[in-house]
Parts: sequence; structure tokens; C-alpha cells
Amino acid sequence: MALDVLIFRAEIAVALVMLLSGAVAAWASANVAKRIVGLLIAHLGAVLALAALGLPDAVLIAGTGVALAHLIIGAALLVRLQEAYGGVEAREFDAADEQTEPTEPTP
Amino acid sequence: MIAEGLELARINSPLLLVTGPLVGAALAAAIPNARASWAIAAIAAILAAVLAFDLGWRGLFTAGSTGVSRHDGAGLFVVPLLAGGGALVTLALGALSKDVSERAAPFAHALVLVVIAGWCGALLARDLFSMFLAVETAWLAGVGLAAVNAERDRAALSGALRMLIAGGVGAALLLLGVGFVANGVGEVRLLAFAETRIAAPELTSIGVGLILLGLAIKAGAAPFHFWVGSAFGRTGAALVLGALAALGAVAVMVRVAGFAFAAPDLGAGVAAVLTVVGAASVVIGSLHASGARNLKRLAAYAGVAQIGCILLSAALGSPAGLAAALVQMFAMLAAALALFGGGAAIGGVALPSLDGLGRRAPLASVAISVAALSLMGAPLTVGFLGRWRMIEAGVGVGWWWAACAVVAASLAGVFYAGRLIDRLYFRKSSAPYVGEGGGWRWLFAPMLVVAILAILLGLEPAWLLTAADAAAARMMGLAP
Repeated sequence: MALDVLIFRAEIAVALVMLLSGAVAAWASANVAKRIVGLLIAHLGAVLALAALGLPDAVLIAGTGVALAHLIIGAALLVRLQEAYGGVEAREFDAADEQTEPTEPTP
Repeated sequence: MIAEGLELARINSPLLLVTGPLVGAALAAAIPNARASWAIAAIAAILAAVLAFDLGWRGLFTAGSTGVSRHDGAGLFVVPLLAGGGALVTLALGALSKDVSERAAPFAHALVLVVIAGWCGALLARDLFSMFLAVETAWLAGVGLAAVNAERDRAALSGALRMLIAGGVGAALLLLGVGFVANGVGEVRLLAFAETRIAAPELTSIGVGLILLGLAIKAGAAPFHFWVGSAFGRTGAALVLGALAALGAVAVMVRVAGFAFAAPDLGAGVAAVLTVVGAASVVIGSLHASGARNLKRLAAYAGVAQIGCILLSAALGSPAGLAAALVQMFAMLAAALALFGGGAAIGGVALPSLDGLGRRAPLASVAISVAALSLMGAPLTVGFLGRWRMIEAGVGVGWWWAACAVVAASLAGVFYAGRLIDRLYFRKSSAPYVGEGGGWRWLFAPMLVVAILAILLGLEPAWLLTAADAAAARMMGLAP
């Protein structure tokens, strides 16, 4: 019984760590590919948490489907960004965009 | 026979509001000709709007059955706004064919319909998991729309990426929150908050908090608004629909909060989340809008401030507070349609391009001016009405600080929205008028006229207030 509880808590902890680290990578990384991978990790963390909580398989499959949809759209955007800007670094995009429109001052 | 068919459609209108636009989207995407695709999309969107208004009318003003849960006031009030706004935007898309290539136009029209179907589905879903799927469907279609004019301006791709990343993280939080609620309550029906004894209130509170957080990111509420400027500021005029997405997300937040307020264990936590996000949005949105140099960014950040006012009103957790939140949603949509629509009709987005346009583009200028007055909360506009109701509700429960925050938002609005009126009517032109599109440009007219009339509903607000009060009463379980 105690082992079950321990395993459950470990699964939830791993899921939360995946979700949080993925979210931080998705938000903070300069490289678009890393951002998209971070997003995938965050989604898989959420799906893992659902599995640990014992939700039905249909929910897990649909959650995974949503994660894959984000991955596919993200990959498509990655390719288009590479074609349009010649790179995949977010700073390059910002620098290029600022040339055509100055950003507003940060309050 | 026809009467029976219509009655069947009315009974199943919640289902048709989702499936109708999706079928229209499939048809619009399958037709390669841009104009024919637009016509199909416009017909589907108008039919959805008619169904939505019928559903809202029956739900809020008559005792007839709607197929919608008795607590679902937010859905009944906001779905007609979303579907009606979506129909006006879809009509206006006919004037924006220059923004997208002939090849991409059918997909843009289809994506607009998917956005409408998704947000309507999220507002009518009976359980949290269906709501999650509907929100994600709408969101991913919105990302596609944000990127659709990348051939004209590559910055649209950067905005779409930020939207995808922000919304993706929000989706992960939303999914985790649904899982926590399912585990804590034992089921995912929204009505379970009111009808079931919650076995694990702490876990459920965390779950509802995560759901609200995920939706706050999608609504662009502060401090999660970092994607708003890029997504709305550099994408094509087709992203007038972005206003509908923000409205949809904040309405789903208010809807979930309305259901959660029915459970005594959850009310305090929900109010705390809404208060913090709402107050931050009012302050940060107003500051960013004051510094904006681009009409779309200004409208987007003003929307963030308005979202803050909506969330503060909803945080009160009273019928008066929820009614004030619904009135402000109406005001937000009307102002957003007028600002985005006016900007798109004019063709320029940099603030200097508005100089002296009052005489050369009178309808668009009037729309932008009336929206600016509503953002300020000027008397006789619907913006004033929403804020006045919020102040009444806030003071009624001793939330003086929230009332002061709303007054501060209005004062900030005088600064940033006043600049628009100054430029339109009190400055000489410094840039050539770039509005174009020939006769098709008149397709903006319905959206602008409706937005102006909606804002001026502040002159005769009885109908709007009655609908908002009826919806709030349903949300609190006070309706018969």
C-alpha cells in the first residue's frame, strides 16, 4: 500500500517537473526548435499526470492528440520561419521585426 | 414540414452551433475560388449567428427549453455575441482578399469558421474535457489565422509562434487542471460543482485554479500578455477575429468561475485568482496601451485592461458582479470590432497614419472615435455602463479598491484612447490614405455600423441590462 502511494507521488512529481521544465523551456528558450520541444514536454507531462490520476484512456489519447497538433503546427511554423528569416533564433526575428516597426517602450 | 424542421433545428441549436460552422469550414476549404469560398463561409457564419441569437433569446427572455443547462447564463449571453461578431467579421473578410493569396484565402475562411465553432463549443460544453477540446480547436485555428498573411508580412509568423507557445503552455495547464478536478470531484461535468459533494476540495481548488490560469494565458490577461502585441500588432486584418478569441477565453473563464462559485469550498480560491489576474491586467494593460504606437497594439492592450475589469467584476461572485462582467464583455467586443474594423478599413495601423482621416474615411473614423469613447468609459456609451455597474457591485460588497482600479482604468483610457480622437479630427494628414479594395471595402460597413450602434446602446440600455441580469441569475442558480 505504502509503495503504491510512493509510486503515485513519484509519477505526479515527475509529471509536474516535466510540465514546469517544458513550460520554462518553451517560454524562455531563444531557439524555436527548443521552444517547440519544450512545449511537447510540457504537454506530455500533463498527459502523464492524467495517467497517474487514473483518468480514462480516451482522455489520455485526446490529450496526446492535442499535444501532437501543437507539435505539427509548431514544426510547420519552424519551417516557414526558417524560410522567411533565414534562422530559427527568436532574437533574430525580433531584431528583423524592429527594423520595420519600433517596439513600444516597456512601462 | 418546414416548421417541424426549424423546430428540430432550434431544439438542437447548441449542437448545430458547433457542427454547422465546421461543415461550412470543410466546404469553404474545399472550394479553391476565394470569392466562392468566402460566400460559403459568410452564409455558414450568418446561419450560426441566427441560431445563436435564437438560443440566447429563448434562454434569457422566455421560459422555453434550450437544451442548455439551467446554470449556463454565461453561455447563453456570450454565444450570440461571439457568433454575431463572427458573422460580421466573416462578411468583412470579403474586403480583405488583398491581405492573403488566392491559394490561402479558402483556408483563412475555413479557419474563421473553426474559431467560431470552437469558442461556441467551449461556451456550451457540459463537461470540462469537451470544453478543453473545443478551446484547443479554436486556439489552434486562431494560430493558423495569425500566420495566414505571412506572405505579405513575415512578422505574422513570429506573432503566430508566440501565440502557439503561450497557448500551448496554457493548454498543458488547462489539461492538468481538468485532471485534478476529475480526480477531486469524481467527474468532469460542470454542474458537478453544484450538485456533488467534493471529495478532495484542495485538489479541486488547485485544478480550478490551473484551468483559470490556462484560460488567462489564452485570453491575454496580464501578466501572461507577452504574446498579445506580436500576435495582434503585426498580423493581418483578418485577425479582427483575435478580439473574438480573447472574448471567448475570458467568457469561458467567467463561465467556469460561475459554476465553481456554486461550490462553497471553491469560491474563495476562484475569487482570489480572478482578483489577482484582473488587477494586474487593469494596471499593465493600461500602461502598455498608453505607450502603444500602433492602432492594433493599442486595441490589443486596451483589451487586456478591459479583460482585467471583467475579471474583477466576476471575482465579486455576486449576481451584480457577474452581470457587470457580462455587460463589459459586450462593451469589449463592440469596441474591439470598431477599433480593429476601423483600422482594417483605413488600411494603416501606425498612429500617425490616422492623422486627419476624419474627413476622408468618415465611417471608419466615427467607429474608432466611438470605440475610443467607450474605452474611456465616457457617459452614454456601453463602456460607461459596464464600468458603472462594476463600481456599483464593488462598492456594494466593500471592494472600494476594485472600484478605484476601474476608475483608474477609465482615466488611463482618456489618455490612450483620447490620442486616437485627437489624431483623427484635430491633426493634419502626414501620410497618404492607403485604404483600398474598391467596392468590396463596403463589406466593412455592417461591422462598423453594428459596432457603433452597440456602443451607443448605452443610451437605451434596458434590453442589455435585462439580458445580463437574467444570465447572471442563471449562473447563480437563481433563475426559475
